[in-house]
Amino acid sequence: MILDLHNHSVASDDARAKVENYCQWIQRRELPLDGFVLSEHRQFDSVSDYRDLEDQFGLVILKASEVETEYGHVLVFGVNDDLQASFDFSSVKLSLETVLSEAERCGAIAVPCHPGRPRVGMSAHFEQLGPVDGVTVIETLNGGSRGRENDIAIELAEQRGYKGIGGSDAHIVSHIGRCATKIEREIRSIEDLVGALKEGDCEAVSYQ
Amino acid sequence: MEFNIDEMKEQYVDHPFDEVEFVVDAEDMVAFAQACGETAPHFLDPKAPDFRAVPNYASRYHGRRSLPKGFPVNMMASFDAGKSVEITGSIRAGDRLTARSHIHDIFEKTGRSGGMLFIVHRMEFSNQDDIKVSTVDWRMVVRLDMTRDKKAKRGAKTQSGES
Amino acid sequence: MAVDRYEDVEFGEELPEFTPDISMPKVVQFTQAAQMNFGRFTDHDEARKSGLPGAIVPGIMSQGILAALIHRWAPTAQIQKIDTVFRAPLVVDSAPTCRGVVTDMDDESRIVEIDLTLCNEAGETRVLGTALVRL
Repeated sequence: MILDLHNHSVASDDARAKVENYCQWIQRRELPLDGFVLSEHRQFDSVSDYRDLEDQFGLVILKASEVETEYGHVLVFGVNDDLQASFDFSSVKLSLETVLSEAERCGAIAVPCHPGRPRVGMSAHFEQLGPVDGVTVIETLNGGSRGRENDIAIELAEQRGYKGIGGSDAHIVSHIGRCATKIEREIRSIEDLVGALKEGDCEAVSYQ
Repeated sequence: MEFNIDEMKEQYVDHPFDEVEFVVDAEDMVAFAQACGETAPHFLDPKAPDFRAVPNYASRYHGRRSLPKGFPVNMMASFDAGKSVEITGSIRAGDRLTARSHIHDIFEKTGRSGGMLFIVHRMEFSNQDDIKVSTVDWRMVVRLDMTRDKKAKRGAKTQSGES
Repeated sequence: MAVDRYEDVEFGEELPEFTPDISMPKVVQFTQAAQMNFGRFTDHDEARKSGLPGAIVPGIMSQGILAALIHRWAPTAQIQKIDTVFRAPLVVDSAPTCRGVVTDMDDESRIVEIDLTLCNEAGETRVLGTALVRL
């Protein structure tokens, strides 16, 4: 399956896309996506139910979160009540170590995103803060990257043996499907996705 | 410098802090439209029927202050992260516009520019007939490290407000 | 061909892209009209001294260019809202590309939503946004 693992909807302060329009866009443009993940900034949307849209468009729509740590931004897949109770998702000063360990404890997985980006990418902080234990997957292809940002992420993954995922980081409808992740197994739920990522069943792909 | 966002919101959000009047000039309307690449006569020719300003014209106006008195940030370290303009009426040559300002929202996030404080300055424009014509939300961003170190303010405007 | 009716529009339709004139004389014209006479917009050397890559196009000029893109496509369109995010500076005297695409349509209100982007020569999005347009 091919899933775009990093997108924002109007629920994020800086995004303007409605979820239904993402679905329409994927269908109209015949994008090679089987689904996508909504990873809203500094929050987890535990309310919205996209099952009708999934049925209507034949897409898998999953929910995650993008939180902010001292090492930059981190996607968290598999958010549940336990994890939401373990740290403040709205904080911009989370500890990456805490996010990684609490995600692991709660059956989720934390994936540093756009790690080659200045200030909000993990690699920018290695010199000052040192490397981090517990990372197994990073976002190597981000649709919003500029210049060498994705190259830095790919080099980082190669150097440290991380698996890579891809996501568009779409904030407007027409930006979905720029990057995605190929997963060999069937994904029908966030638990399926977390299982795949934990086992390294993921390959970043670019359509830009 | 640490900010207590909840306290700042309580103190500043939705409290009017400025009111100023502007008279709309036809030549400026035309030059603004030309520079943006408009081609329609109703934006470019003062003699055209329905001659009016381009939709985002109100965003060119600034009040006497960008922030309320006592607001605890260094404006010199700020940059412009975006503008939203809602158009509810036409702006025409000779109109006398009244703009009223308040802070609409305050929040923190991190981005390519590091820690950032977002301040949404809302200006509501009404014309001489008291018809609301535009609402402009100006998303100002203050880099938090710049706020801590005013000497570092050079280069602030190179930064990006995105995440 | 110019569009003037809601019925002429399709979801996913691309607006005809264009390369806006952001030469220094044009930006100077804008800054004079908008009373934004600052060196960072009109003087490459002064802008570079303050850490910028060169003089930059004012954000609201970029927004105005994106509005013009809509009017060139649909001259009778009424823009009800235009919301732009200034992601990164757009340098004066460069040759960006201005694009729009229809991403939502409401048959009842006859309002379409348009994704808007201004990209530099490297294809990087410098300004993005959306507009609500009544046809």
